[in-house]
Amino acid sequence: MEGIISLTLLVFLALLMPGVVNRTRAVMAGRRGVRFFQHLHNVGTLLQKGAVYSPSAGFIFRAAPAVCLGATFTALLLLPFGTHGALLSFNGDVVLFAYLLALGRAALILAAMETGSSFEGMGAAREALYGALAEPALLLTAGTLALVTGQTSFARIFASAGSLPPQMLIVMGLILYVAIKLIIVETGRIPVDDPRTHLELTMVHEVMVLDYCGADLALLHVAEWLKAAALATLAANAVASAFAFNPLTVLALALAQAAAIGVVESLQARNKLARNATYILTITALAFVVFMLAYVLQQNITIG
Amino acid sequence: MFAETLLILALLSLAVFAVPLRLKGPFTLAVTGIGALRCLAESIAVLGRGYGQIETLITSPVFGDGYAATDPLSALFMLICSLAVIAVLIYAQGYLRPYLGKKSPAQLSLHYAALSLLYYAMIGVVMCRGAFGFLFMWELMTVSSFVLILFDAERREVRRAAMNYLILMHIGFIFLVAGFVTLRAAELPATFDSLALYFAGHNPLPLFLVFLVGFGMKAGMFPLHVWLPEAHPAAPAHISALMSGVMIKMGVYGILRVALAIGDGLLAVGLVLFVLGIVTGLWGILSAAVQNDLKRLLAYSSIENVGIILLALGIGLAGKAWDNPLLALCGVSGALLHTVNHSFFKGVLFFGAGSVYTATHTTALDSLGGLGRTMPRTAALFLAGTAAICALPPLSGFVSEFLVYFGLLGAVAEPGSGTIAAACGIVFLALIGGLALLAFTKLYGITFSGLPRSKAAAEAREVPVPMIAGAMIPLAGILAVGLAPGLFTGGLFALTGRLLGIEGAPLIYRMAGPDLWKITAAAVVLAGVVGLVCGYKKSLLRKRTVGTGPTWGCGFGAPSPRMQYTGESFAEGLQSLSGRAATGRPQMVGRGEIFAGRHNLDVRHRDRVASLFSAWWVELLRRVNARVMATRTGKVNHYVLYALMFLLLILLLSLTNLI
Repeated sequence: MEGIISLTLLVFLALLMPGVVNRTRAVMAGRRGVRFFQHLHNVGTLLQKGAVYSPSAGFIFRAAPAVCLGATFTALLLLPFGTHGALLSFNGDVVLFAYLLALGRAALILAAMETGSSFEGMGAAREALYGALAEPALLLTAGTLALVTGQTSFARIFASAGSLPPQMLIVMGLILYVAIKLIIVETGRIPVDDPRTHLELTMVHEVMVLDYCGADLALLHVAEWLKAAALATLAANAVASAFAFNPLTVLALALAQAAAIGVVESLQARNKLARNATYILTITALAFVVFMLAYVLQQNITIG
Repeated sequence: MFAETLLILALLSLAVFAVPLRLKGPFTLAVTGIGALRCLAESIAVLGRGYGQIETLITSPVFGDGYAATDPLSALFMLICSLAVIAVLIYAQGYLRPYLGKKSPAQLSLHYAALSLLYYAMIGVVMCRGAFGFLFMWELMTVSSFVLILFDAERREVRRAAMNYLILMHIGFIFLVAGFVTLRAAELPATFDSLALYFAGHNPLPLFLVFLVGFGMKAGMFPLHVWLPEAHPAAPAHISALMSGVMIKMGVYGILRVALAIGDGLLAVGLVLFVLGIVTGLWGILSAAVQNDLKRLLAYSSIENVGIILLALGIGLAGKAWDNPLLALCGVSGALLHTVNHSFFKGVLFFGAGSVYTATHTTALDSLGGLGRTMPRTAALFLAGTAAICALPPLSGFVSEFLVYFGLLGAVAEPGSGTIAAACGIVFLALIGGLALLAFTKLYGITFSGLPRSKAAAEAREVPVPMIAGAMIPLAGILAVGLAPGLFTGGLFALTGRLLGIEGAPLIYRMAGPDLWKITAAAVVLAGVVGLVCGYKKSLLRKRTVGTGPTWGCGFGAPSPRMQYTGESFAEGLQSLSGRAATGRPQMVGRGEIFAGRHNLDVRHRDRVASLFSAWWVELLRRVNARVMATRTGKVNHYVLYALMFLLLILLLSLTNLI
C-alpha cells in the first residue's frame, strides 16, 4: 500500500515537472508562456496519430520506446517518497536503479543506430559517451548516501536518515547540487543539450528520436518525464530526510529542482559540444569531493 | 576411475584421424561430448557435495609426486569448460562445413584432435595439484591451442599471431616453473597444497608476484595482454570462443589457487590485484571501444572482463584482510560468478562473430551493417550477449557485477579501512561499465543495424542450424543466471565461504546480503510493463495508418549506406578524451602523387603496450644477435678454436682466482 502511494506520487510529480520547468523559463523571459499542462496535451495529440517507420528500422526500433518506458518505470518502484516506502526494495537496489536507467539508454541508442542515419548515429554516440561518463557520478552519489546512513537500499537509506547529525545537512545539500547537474545530463537539458534546438548536428537526445512519431514519441516523452522525476525525488528524499521527512517537503523540493533547471536554462547558454565531456567529468569529480567530505565528517563523529 | 575414463576418452578422440572426412565432426562431438558430460556430472556432484575426491593419476611415473583432485574450485572451472566445449563442438559442425572441401582431411583431423586435447588439458589443469602434472597439462593446453590458432595457416598474420602467442606463453611458463622451483628450494613438495605452508613462513608477496606474471600472461592481464587481441582474431570463431570464454580463465584459476593459500599478508596481494584489475579493465575497454574489427573488439573486451574479475577478486581478498566478511564474500563470489558469466556471453558473442564471418567473409565493421534483417536469429542471439556483457538487467552480467557493487557499497556503508578503496572501486567499475555500453552498442549497431555497407553484407544469409544451436547453450546460462539469480547465490556463497575459510557464510549472506529474488521480481515487472506498453501501442495503431518513409536525412533525398555513421566516428568522442592512451593514429596509405587516385585510410589501432615490442630496443637486440650469429660459421676448425678459447678463459679466470 505504502509503495502504491509512493508510485502514485512519483507519477504525479513526473507530470508536474515539465510544466514547472516551462513556466519558470517563461517567467524568467518575461513571457506568459504556454498552458501549465501543455506537455500533456502534446502527448495526447501524439497518441492520436498513426506511425511512419523507416524501411531500415527493425524490431529494436519498434520495441525501444516500450523498453525505455518499462525500464524507467521499474526504476521508479525502487524509490520511496518521503515516509512512504518503496514498492520493491532490497539491499543494494541502488545499483539496480542505475542499471535500469542504463537499460533505457541502451535501448534508445540501439534504436537510433537502426535508422541508418548519420545524424542519429551522432546522437547515439554522444549519448553513449555522456552516459558512460555520468555513470560513476550517479553510483558514487549512491555510495555517499550509503556512507552517511550505513544502508544500501533507497528505502532504508532514507528511513534511517532522520537521525542524522545536523552537519550532514551540508552533505545532503551538496548531493542535491550534484543531483540537479545529473538530471541536466541524464534528461538532456541546457547546458549539455538543448531540447529546443533546430540543428541536427548539435543535438544529443533529440536527434536520437528524430525518426519517431506518434505513439512511439509520446512513450519516449513520458519515459523522459519519469526519469527526471526519479532523479529529482532521489535528491529531494536525501535533503528532506535530514530535516523534515514528509511527502510534502519531498514534493516541494523536487519541484524546486525543476524550477532550478528552468532558471539554469534561462540564464546559461549551452556548452560547445567538445566541452560537455569536461562538464560531466566535473560532476564526477564533484561527487567524489562530496564523498570525501561525508567521509571526513563521518569519521569525526565517530572519533569525537 | 574418473581420471582413467577421461584418459581413455582423450586417447579415443585421437582416433579422429582414421574417421572419414564427413564424420570427423560428429565423431569428435560424440566422443568429447561424452567426456564433457562425464565431467559435467562430476563437477555438479562435487559442487553439490561441497567437497571432492582425490584421484591418483595412473601415469604416476610421468607426473612424479603429482596427484589430481577435484575440489569445489576445480569443479566450478570444470563446469564452465565442459559447457563451453559442448557448445563449441556443436557450433563447429556448422562453422567448419565450408572448410570440408578446402582443407585436407589431415588438417581437419589435427584441428579436431587439438580441440579435444585442449579440453582435456584444461580439465587436467584444474585437477592436477602437483607441479609436474600441472605444468604438463598447462603446456599441453598451450600447444594444443597453438595448433588451433594455426587453422588458417596460409595467412601470414595468423602465423605471426600464433608464434607471438607461443613465445609469450612460454615466457609465462618460465615464471610458473620458477614459482614451483621456489617451493622446492624451501624444501617443500612442489604442489599447490604446500603453498599454504610456504606462505605461512615467508612474505607471500614475492612468490605471489612470480605466479601472477605466469598466470596473468594467460589471463590477459595488463600489460601482459598483448597476445590476446592478435590471437583471437586469427583463430576460427569457435576457437576464439573457447579460448576467450574458458582458456584465459585458467589464468584466473591459477591466481585464485595461489591467492587463496595466503594467510597473513593478504592485504597487499588483494590491493595489487585490485589496482591491476582497474588498469586492465580500463585499458581493455578503452582499447575495445576504438577497434574497427568485430573480433578484435571482442578480444579487448575479454581483457576488460578479466580486469573486472581481478578487481572483484582483489577487493574480496582485501576485504578478508580487513576482517569484513561481507566484502570478502561478495567480492570473491562476484569474481567467480563473473568468470562463469563471461564464459557464457563471450561464447555467444564470438559465435555471433563467427556467424557474421561465415555469412559475409569479413569482420571489418566498416563493411558490415544491416545484418539484423538478413540474419535475424544471429542478431537476436548477439543482442542478448551484448545486453548481458553490458551488465544490463535482467541478464547474467548484471548479477555478477551487482554482487561486486554490493560488496563495495557494503564496505562504504560501514566506514573502516577499506572505505576509500571501495569508493574508488565503485567509480572505476561504473566507468568501465558505462564504456562497455558504448563499445557494445557500437558493435551491435554498426554490425546489425542500419543499412549494409558492402555487397557481401547485403547478400548475407542466415547461418546453418548447428551454429544457432551451439549458441543456445550459453544463452540458456545467461538467462538462467540473469532471471533467477536467487537459485545460485546460496550455493555460490557457501562455496566462497569454504574457499576463504569464513565460518557461517550462508548465514552472513542471509542476514546482510541482497535478496536476489527481488531482481527476479524486477525482471517480471519490467517484462510485464514492456509487454503491456507494446500491446497498448499495437491496439492504438490497429485502426490507424502505419506507413513507411525514408529515414530523415535533413532534407537530403538520396542518402547512401556509405553516409551512415561508422564505428570510427562512433568512438571519436571517447578517443578525443582518452587521447592516445590506447590508440594509434590513422595513416594514409597508397595516396597518389599529384592527382589523388584511389587511396585508403588505414585506421587500425595499435596497442601502445604491444608497440613496445617493436620499439628501438628490439631492433638493437636483433642487431646484436646478428653479430653473435656471425660466429656460427659451420666450420669445425672454428668450433675447435672456440673450445680452446673457452678453456683458456677458464684457466685465466682460475689463475686470477676469479672463479
